Amino acid sequence: MIIEALAFYALAGILTLSALLVITVRNPVHSVLFLILGFFNAAGLFVLLGAEFIAMILVIVYVGAVAVLFLFVVMMLDVSFADLRKGAMQYVPIGLVIGAILLSELILVYSVWGFAPETLDNRAAPVEKFEGLTNTEALGNVLYTDYIFPFQLAGLILFVAMIGAIVLTHRSRPGVRKQSVADQQARKASDVLEIRKVQTGSGA
Amino acid sequence: MEFIAVFAPLIGFIITGIFGTKMGKWPSIVITCGAMFAAAAASIYLFYAVNLQHAPYTTVLANWLTSGELSVNWALRIDQLTVVMMCVINIVSTCVHVYSVGYMSHDDHQIRFMSYLNLFTFAMLMLVTADNLLQLFFGWEGVGLASYLLIGFWHHKHSANAAAQKAFVVNRVGDLTLALGMMGCFAVFGSINFDVIFAEASKYADTDFVLFGQHLHAMTAICLLLFIGSMGKSAQILLHTWLPDAMEGPTPVSALIHAATMVTAGVFLLARLSPLFEYAPEIRVMITLVGTATAFIAATIGMTQFDIKRVIAYSTMSQLGYMFFALGVSAYSAAIFHLMTHAFFKALLFLSAGSVIHALSDEQDMRKMGGLWKKIPFTYIMMWTGALALAGIPPFAGFYSKDIVMEAAYASSNWSGQLAFWMSLAAVFMTSFYSWRLIIMTFHGKPRSSEEVMDHVHESPSVMLVPLFILAMGAVFSGAFFYEPFVGGEKAAAHGEMSAGHEEAGHHQPEVVPHESGGEDTVWARQSFWGDSILVLDENDSLQAAHHAPKWVKFSPLAVGLLGIIMAYLIYMTGPGVPDKIRRAVPALHALSFNKWYFDEIYDFLFVRRAFGLGRIFTKADRKIIDRFGPDGGATASGATAKLFSRFQTGFIYQYAFVMMIAVISLLSWFVFRAGQGG
Amino acid sequence: MMAFDLVPLFPELFLAVTGMAHLIIGVWRGNHSTHFIFWASAATYVAAALILMGVSWGDAIVLNGMFKFDNFAGFMKLIILLGLLASAALSVKYLDDEGVSRFEYPVLMTFAGIGMMLMVSANNLLALYMALELQSLSLYVLAAFRRGSLQSAEAGVKYFSLGALSSGMILFGISLIYGYTGTLDYGTLSATLLPMQSIPVGITFGLVFLLAGLAFKISAVPFHMWTPDVYQGAPTSVTAFFAIVPKIAAMGLIMRLLFEPFAPVSGQWDQIVWFLSAASMMVGAFAAIVQENIKRLLAYSSIGNMGYALIGIAAVSSTGAGAVVLYLLIYLIMTSGVFAVVLSMRRNGKAVENISDLAGLSQTQPMLAYTMAILMFSMSGIPPMAGFFGKLVIFQAAVDAQMYVLAVLGVVTSVVAAYYYLRIIKVMFFDTPAPAFDGALPFARRAVLTLSVVFVLGFVLRPSLAIVIAKNAAGALFAG
Repeated sequence: MIIEALAFYALAGILTLSALLVITVRNPVHSVLFLILGFFNAAGLFVLLGAEFIAMILVIVYVGAVAVLFLFVVMMLDVSFADLRKGAMQYVPIGLVIGAILLSELILVYSVWGFAPETLDNRAAPVEKFEGLTNTEALGNVLYTDYIFPFQLAGLILFVAMIGAIVLTHRSRPGVRKQSVADQQARKASDVLEIRKVQTGSGA
Repeated sequence: MEFIAVFAPLIGFIITGIFGTKMGKWPSIVITCGAMFAAAAASIYLFYAVNLQHAPYTTVLANWLTSGELSVNWALRIDQLTVVMMCVINIVSTCVHVYSVGYMSHDDHQIRFMSYLNLFTFAMLMLVTADNLLQLFFGWEGVGLASYLLIGFWHHKHSANAAAQKAFVVNRVGDLTLALGMMGCFAVFGSINFDVIFAEASKYADTDFVLFGQHLHAMTAICLLLFIGSMGKSAQILLHTWLPDAMEGPTPVSALIHAATMVTAGVFLLARLSPLFEYAPEIRVMITLVGTATAFIAATIGMTQFDIKRVIAYSTMSQLGYMFFALGVSAYSAAIFHLMTHAFFKALLFLSAGSVIHALSDEQDMRKMGGLWKKIPFTYIMMWTGALALAGIPPFAGFYSKDIVMEAAYASSNWSGQLAFWMSLAAVFMTSFYSWRLIIMTFHGKPRSSEEVMDHVHESPSVMLVPLFILAMGAVFSGAFFYEPFVGGEKAAAHGEMSAGHEEAGHHQPEVVPHESGGEDTVWARQSFWGDSILVLDENDSLQAAHHAPKWVKFSPLAVGLLGIIMAYLIYMTGPGVPDKIRRAVPALHALSFNKWYFDEIYDFLFVRRAFGLGRIFTKADRKIIDRFGPDGGATASGATAKLFSRFQTGFIYQYAFVMMIAVISLLSWFVFRAGQGG
Repeated sequence: MMAFDLVPLFPELFLAVTGMAHLIIGVWRGNHSTHFIFWASAATYVAAALILMGVSWGDAIVLNGMFKFDNFAGFMKLIILLGLLASAALSVKYLDDEGVSRFEYPVLMTFAGIGMMLMVSANNLLALYMALELQSLSLYVLAAFRRGSLQSAEAGVKYFSLGALSSGMILFGISLIYGYTGTLDYGTLSATLLPMQSIPVGITFGLVFLLAGLAFKISAVPFHMWTPDVYQGAPTSVTAFFAIVPKIAAMGLIMRLLFEPFAPVSGQWDQIVWFLSAASMMVGAFAAIVQENIKRLLAYSSIGNMGYALIGIAAVSSTGAGAVVLYLLIYLIMTSGVFAVVLSMRRNGKAVENISDLAGLSQTQPMLAYTMAILMFSMSGIPPMAGFFGKLVIFQAAVDAQMYVLAVLGVVTSVVAAYYYLRIIKVMFFDTPAPAFDGALPFARRAVLTLSVVFVLGFVLRPSLAIVIAKNAAGALFAG
């Protein structure tokens, strides 16, 4: 029990700290690296909760794909984040005030955390059905049945995202030589090669 | 059937209004005229089905609006009065449509013109088929709009625009009181449906309104408002100044709108509301006086004008005066009778004048006419026909209708009727005088226009002459033919029963009311002809009395009319110097007449300039006091607020995000605060 | 577990399948097929509307309670399809003129349309979120559609970033609500909330976050900041689309959310709605006064109009809800007409957007000027145009609910707003004419304009018809 608590505080502490560093460090590459660290810690928290599937997804998707993509962008684009931050600095004091208010209000809310008796049935509902199954199996059981609607909708959203990415970035540039496999395959020697008989001795 | 009669022009208007320019000229003409032919045919059928079969009915089309007690339908009230009006409107309108095909053929915007005519006809039909005051008001405004559009049809002419605006503004005065009268009706009866109002009218005969602590006789107040409303549209004295100016519009418009139909809307309104006016005797006296004054004054003005269309316009006004005093003495059916005959012969006169103008290359001044009769003989004959009918020479239509109107006035039990009779007798003289003055100046004597113009004079194409001929038929025969059903016959004894059953007015009443004096008589006596569409209380029935008027009363208009013709002949035919001598002999009288009794000048002085002056005072007060603290202050404050709001709009995303976050936090804090309060 | 019944989803499924088919055709044929895909999409919307009318309009909850079909959803979807149709008709020629005629445009519109239709049918907070994202993502892309233009790209980025923030708020709100009630399902939510003696403050917080995020979608003040910038920056046809349809869907979603699961806590949310409504009306009226760009002006106009519509929700009554539905319908039709005019503001082949460019339009293009004048009169709520009735029923609902402050505020701001609508008329009719606009209106735009004006003018003939239909549709929300 004590180990679990220790692990929790360690993970949560590092998570908060790295989140803070993401927005404060000067070098954007460091910033992204701290983000990755944050993701790992969050994944650790999920493991603590027994949600190993989500923890793995977090690592694979966010660390493996999203954050690495960020890293590429940050390294390839020469954006001076310091300049961008300049304008925003004037809002820091008011931002702190707002943050403090929000924090205190949320503390207020969570401090009186407690389930109303009316919610008893709701809380019981999802648990019993999947007694003895692993997390992944349980998710798999409902994803294509109970949650087929949001699942398909998510598919549509990704589809639209793909269209959007192509619309906004793809341009057909004329004069660019592209590899055309079909053309290459269809090429015959006779199309490109001409064999000339050269008369001997006529060259000077 | 009633759908064709009412909605055919609307369909014509919509089609040609939208697709007219696409379709081209001839399809548009075919559609607009075709619509009118269909409507005219349908209304003649309705005349047979409703008036001759005594079968009035009401078709409810749809519920228009319902608000509390107020419930208004779109409905077509097809009763005898309506059908008579529909026949007049559709027939005259058809003639005018056909005439316009020729008259406007050189105008680039003929399609627009034809579609406006359709629109006007539809609005007029809505007016007469209304079964409640609101729908009537709809038609009333519709004809006003169409009239505005058509007077200003040649919008490149400054005078046409001014005239259109004048017509619109003067009519607003009447429209305002009409709307007030309508509200008054609702206040008293709790309804503006004719059926309800008419059924309950007798119950409220002694009701008082209490307004600002004053007790007003409800009927008198309502009728006064409605009457003033009708004065505007029908160009009665005081609100008449727009009508002569409206002659700026194309001549077919003058014939249709400003002679035959729209200006008679006021007459129709009063006849339609006869069940109310019967209970407002004071107002009827007022109507008689206003009508008499209009008839007399307009006739005097007509004697000295030189613009051929203005002469006829004043004549129209004068004849409207006749109709009004007929209404005033409760001779409603006589007024409608005169309305009908007048529609024919006045449209005929206008269209003939149009033919003259057309022949003379758009010349309207009679001083530049003369000697035309050999060149355009058909128009000349038509003009004679119209003038004879107008002057009331038998057997032309005007003789019958004008005589019965004047007899009713004479026979009326009221002093105002007597006055009306004598004044109108004088007007009859003047009427025939100016009619023949017009004919002689236009067609006889030496040509006064230039050689060039005279060479061009030609008879109009037959597409213009045929409508003239049809209208001439109406001007000749409609009087003799419809005299008996419209105004003739004794008041049937059965009338008592009918007014008892008057609550069912508007419901389907197919059964022929039993009549004591025999079957034939039922169709051709006025009471059964009009059915319940017009109510005359027994004690007010001046038409009844008119049939017993002395012989000299019946013949005096004829005699006076002939006298007028002879006078005109003597003065204008014998020597060209005679009119001038007369003019010099009575300069004051001539000036009064020639300057139209100075109405325009007086109005200009009293209202227009006063209004400007008042406006200036208000402007100052407004700027100094009200604006500073009211609108201007408000506007400045608004401007400042606007600037404040736009200052937030910097275009920076993080600032926008901040605003959003602050808003969320504020809302949260509000709830926390409320929870803390013990919520 | 409920039956796996897809019948109520037929219109959306049909749209999705045809949308994908259009995409395939587009990829195959390239941008030559844009016109074809536009008209095919328009036909698809009509067909979807027909299918929609074909399915049973009885209440149906399917797909594990995620999707609800009832009268309200049906009617709102019809309005949405009408808006899509109008937007598609307005866009074709404009995109040609601007040289950004690409086949993805109608496809994205279709997908946004699916998202919107699902939004009004969402019966679960999860479904709500997913449908909302489907719609929003399509809109983000459309806002930046003219990618060569800096303004358009800026509009897209702004809309996207702030939209992401609002989505975050919505998610956070949903998580709070889930945390305190243990459910996402609308039916279970209302059953849970109904017996509660006191509402835990966490639920209120969740509701605040949720509503704040949704307020962003309908651009209610103070979550409106993106609207003027995005309206101005996006291609005008996209602006038209933004103004016409998504607001209606978002409004439908909010109405279902507040009147169904959160009806038991109306005492909490009506204050939020009250505030949003009052603030929107004020800002919409006052900030528009100083605008010179007509697209910005219309942005503020739409903010103000959403404020009026919110009055009807704040009234918490079926009359109020009916008034909102009617108001949205009238708003949609008027806005389509106005944008048909704005899209026609081109001079020498370039779009112009300033109010001063309209100067003297009555002399150069009288028909356009008169129709615009009618629409402006209607927008400012002058009887007997349709806009007047829209406002009338809203204010009536407010008075019935004894919300006099809102009603008075609504009337006052209407007067202020009338100033800038009438200013456009003044500019068109009394200012010295600017050079004429290019050419005649293309057929589709003219059709939209004509129908819009006919509706605006003809509404007075049978006002009760639309009022009753809207009321019945809204009544479905209060049936349960």
